[in-house]
Amino acid sequence: MSSVLQARGVVMTFRNGDEETQVLRGIDVDLAPGELVALVGASGSGKSTLLSILGLLLRPTEGEIQIAGQRVDDMGEKARAAFRNQRLGFVFQFHHLLPDFSAMENVAFPAAAPAGGISPEMRRRALSLLERVGLADRAHFPASRLSGGQKQRVAIARALMNRPELVIADEPTGNLDLRSAGQVLDLMGEVNREEGGTFLICTHDEHVAARCHRRILLVDGKVQPQEEKAIPGG
Amino acid sequence: MFALTVARRYLTSNPAQTVLLVTGVALGVTVFIFITALIEGLAINLTEQVTGNSAHVTLEPATRLAQILPGDDGVRTEGVALISTFQRSQIRTWSSTVDLIRSQSGVAGLSPQISGNAFLVKGEAVQPVSVTGLEPEGLDAITPITPSLVSGQGALGADGLLIGVELAKDLGLTAGQPVLLRTDRGGERLLTVRGIFKTGLQSLDSRVAFMSLQTARPLFNLPEGVTNIEVKLDEPGRAREVADFLAGATGLRATPWQDKNLNLEAALDAQGRTGTLIQIFSLISIIIGVASALVLSAYRRRSEVGIMRAFGISGRFIVAVFMLQGLLIGLAGGLLGCLSGYGLCTFLASLTGADGTPPLPIAPERGGYVAVLILTTLGAVLASAFPARSAARIDPLEAIQQ
Repeated sequence: MSSVLQARGVVMTFRNGDEETQVLRGIDVDLAPGELVALVGASGSGKSTLLSILGLLLRPTEGEIQIAGQRVDDMGEKARAAFRNQRLGFVFQFHHLLPDFSAMENVAFPAAAPAGGISPEMRRRALSLLERVGLADRAHFPASRLSGGQKQRVAIARALMNRPELVIADEPTGNLDLRSAGQVLDLMGEVNREEGGTFLICTHDEHVAARCHRRILLVDGKVQPQEEKAIPGG
Repeated sequence: MFALTVARRYLTSNPAQTVLLVTGVALGVTVFIFITALIEGLAINLTEQVTGNSAHVTLEPATRLAQILPGDDGVRTEGVALISTFQRSQIRTWSSTVDLIRSQSGVAGLSPQISGNAFLVKGEAVQPVSVTGLEPEGLDAITPITPSLVSGQGALGADGLLIGVELAKDLGLTAGQPVLLRTDRGGERLLTVRGIFKTGLQSLDSRVAFMSLQTARPLFNLPEGVTNIEVKLDEPGRAREVADFLAGATGLRATPWQDKNLNLEAALDAQGRTGTLIQIFSLISIIIGVASALVLSAYRRRSEVGIMRAFGISGRFIVAVFMLQGLLIGLAGGLLGCLSGYGLCTFLASLTGADGTPPLPIAPERGGYVAVLILTTLGAVLASAFPARSAARIDPLEAIQQ
């Protein structure tokens, strides 16, 4: 099976004046389609940096990255933005919803902005995603009136709007209470099982990592070999 | 257009701030309109005072230069041009010229005239007088004489004369009395004072006499032509342009009123420049107001813009969202300002002072509404360019991590 994500020899060095800090020291990552993978590691291990690089929000100092069979590390800014829009989904620790828009409009936004408006097809897709995340009855509520957990579920629906090959989640439950965090994790698990979406979840929460198929442990900018957990139903 | 939907939503999400912003723009536009209408009103008022009783364009026979033959070496040696005095200076084809002028748009009135100098003699009293022979039906075309009559009436007839009140006083004349007129062409005739006018202008009231063109012909020995054609325009400001056109079309010498009042023109120019400065400052204040509000808005929405960028929404879309906000603010403020500016100017124009005239010579219809609407909208769009560009350059990673 071809990889959804293949990263080879990713190095990231930050420069501050004369001082150089190597945060990633030659990372290799492979994600197979339909995998739910946790990216774990202590603070400062470089997991957020790796996630940003794999999400095309940051350029690595060295290394080669392919997503869905396409080389992405040498793309120009416009092509990277278009790739992020069409092929990747993002869920962040903070939901970052647009407060002046309804839940449905927030979900449809990544498709609507490049197309110039919300088409009936986009509306149907957004509503079905909201139904999927259990918020069909909140579709026309302004995002500002939703609870924290509901907002994060809307954010997940938004990440799935353009049917991305890979969803990148950075501490998606970090700001939620236990119950809401559980709901969000259940949801990502369901979407992963039922729609075969590939998820890379950066977390320092053991509960989150435990619910993933496998984990990638970063220690001091390097991937540590892990025992793989069987993919449920796989 | 989705960017417009987003821009509108951003503006309506904080109604108090938007209302304040639009009101600020509207105030700037109101000031612009008030100043424009006032400067225009002042110019109209001054021009009316200066040209109300005189022509806007005067057509006279072209100056004929005497033919000077070159000397043996082929070089003309005279330092000044010699005016030909061989023929009488007159406009022979005045009838066709009058038709041509009448066919032009913006001509309010015209009057072919025979102008000359004469003396009015009554007993031993003699007064120099500037005689204007004109068509009786065009008596009021240039100077409103009939409404200025203080005694007698305006029908000139075959031997009628209208004189100013000062001249009548100097010669002890009243309406209905005969008076002898002796012209500088040797003509002499006993005429009757039909009416006495008072325009309030010393030069007219003490020095000018009006008679019919037919009466003037034998007196000034001009059986066919006229000496000058006076033209009144709807818009005195167009005088120079009309004069240039008529000079080209007729070959006559056409003098706009401004050339006879160079000081006034300079004063009006200076006044216009002052107005332009105030207009520019009000536009700058509008631009700064819009720019600062949108800079703040872009800053407040950094994380939202950041997430849009993370989702791969193009910089062009972000720029469009902020520039459309500028456009909407400019348009709304501009329209509101036009309404309030027109309201303010109309109100001020409707006020009357002790003498029955408005305290400010304001011209509400000359507020430059279309210009200020276009300039304000463009200015507001321009003002939004900087915040729009800086918003589009927000680093998604940095904005999300905040």
